[in-house]
Amino acid sequence: MQAAQFIYSKVYNLAAKEEFISTIKSGKILARKCTKCGYLHLATTYFCQNCGNKGFENALIEGKGTVVTYTIITVPPAGYEKYAPYAWVVMKLDGANLRISGFMQNIKSPADLPLGTKARIAGYDERGILIEKL
Amino acid sequence: MERVCVIGAGSTKYGKLQDSITDIAVQASVDAIESAGIEPKEIQAGYISNVFGIADKQVHLGPVIMSNLGIPEVPSLSIESACGSGSVSFREAYANVAAGFYDAVLATGVEKVTHTGTEWTTTYFSYCSDFFYEGGAGASFPGLFASIARAYLAEFKATEEDLALVAVKNHDNGLLNPKAHLRKKITVDDVMKSAVVASPLKLYDCCPFSDGASAVIICNEKFAKAHTKNYIQVIGSGRGGSPAALQGREHLTTIPSTKIAAQAAYKMAGLTPKDIDFAEVHDCFTIAELVDTEDLGFFEKGKAVDAVRQGMTKLNGAIPINPSGGLKSKGHPIGATGIGQIAEVFDQLTGKAGERTVKDAKIGLTHNFGATGASCAVHIFKSV
Repeated sequence: MQAAQFIYSKVYNLAAKEEFISTIKSGKILARKCTKCGYLHLATTYFCQNCGNKGFENALIEGKGTVVTYTIITVPPAGYEKYAPYAWVVMKLDGANLRISGFMQNIKSPADLPLGTKARIAGYDERGILIEKL
Repeated sequence: MERVCVIGAGSTKYGKLQDSITDIAVQASVDAIESAGIEPKEIQAGYISNVFGIADKQVHLGPVIMSNLGIPEVPSLSIESACGSGSVSFREAYANVAAGFYDAVLATGVEKVTHTGTEWTTTYFSYCSDFFYEGGAGASFPGLFASIARAYLAEFKATEEDLALVAVKNHDNGLLNPKAHLRKKITVDDVMKSAVVASPLKLYDCCPFSDGASAVIICNEKFAKAHTKNYIQVIGSGRGGSPAALQGREHLTTIPSTKIAAQAAYKMAGLTPKDIDFAEVHDCFTIAELVDTEDLGFFEKGKAVDAVRQGMTKLNGAIPINPSGGLKSKGHPIGATGIGQIAEVFDQLTGKAGERTVKDAKIGLTHNFGATGASCAVHIFKSV
């Protein structure tokens, strides 16, 4: 079992997700920049969305940005009951043409989170990628 | 390519149904077969769209349905594309008939989930999202469309009351549809006062979780002419995709797959949006209908709000949208919805839509997508 997993991950480079999550935990985003056209992707992309190239170089991006849209969930999926109400947020990253989304605690009404609020990546746990207001 | 036709359609009532997933799928199939005036043995393949058969203890539905129809030898397959499963399945059926592999096939869509309750459906539907970023970070489907809604309201200076107008209009249409799930007249005030599900969307902005089944008979023109005069032609078929996660899309208020699928369907039909007499579109939430009707080219970006305020999308408007009541009022049994839309167009164009008939309609369009529009199919039909 161990050997099979090793071969699989080596062939397809699936360790990228773990690397991505460990970077998220330090408040940063591991993006992949296409070596051919420069297009930026989140680390979990394996082929360039713009030109189809498979070569990437790491681009470590500061996990800070602006809230571009969100919702406040009052009828949650299983596992999130104890957190409701909470926000699910889409954030545009500063200085990069890239957005990332995640979970934000302690948002009870739209007055708590006007569009344009500055926010940052705050970690990763059983709630998913965590984002908090700056 | 063979010219492809739809010669029969059937649907169960949509809503909370007691019968099993197999029973309702078979009922809709029998209704479609009888509507077409064919014998089951004339069916050469079955296309079955379903997402959560597991909830009613039956997956691999095809052979079970075929056996119940007395044609166990006929091949079938199951297709899952979230809420777009029905139209994607129809497209595969269409392509196989167009290519000449089959003369006549059955496409049946079915879903049976209401017995599982709101938490189960909210949770399992969230698995249709790009789970790592969305469902796995607490986003429900109402939440994802609510995020599109918040961006839309801010960008185009629209209000929550504007969204409510879509629900009111679709409920008005659904009142005229005996098979609709929510047959109840509502007002803007009712929508505004309903409980918030995922801000800014409230309960009455959301389609219901429904059980139901729909089926159509698809065949080549020679087969159609040999069996009936009452049929419609498929004149356009298009499919498209979008980045699975909302965060990856160029615009948060446009669904790329709809535009790609629509352009392909219009091109095949040699038509433009102005030529469409009415459309059944994917209004899983009120905001979706506004976005859809812009992405389909009926209105410019940001202008669907004005159209709804002016009543242009009502049953007697310039471009009636969702005469059936749409997902909002007719209901949304997710595996059946795309087939149900085509059944509605069949009824409309063959004089079987009763009180909700769109006057003088000759050309109808269906638009159905999976998840937040990560996958989409658009079809255009013409009366003969």
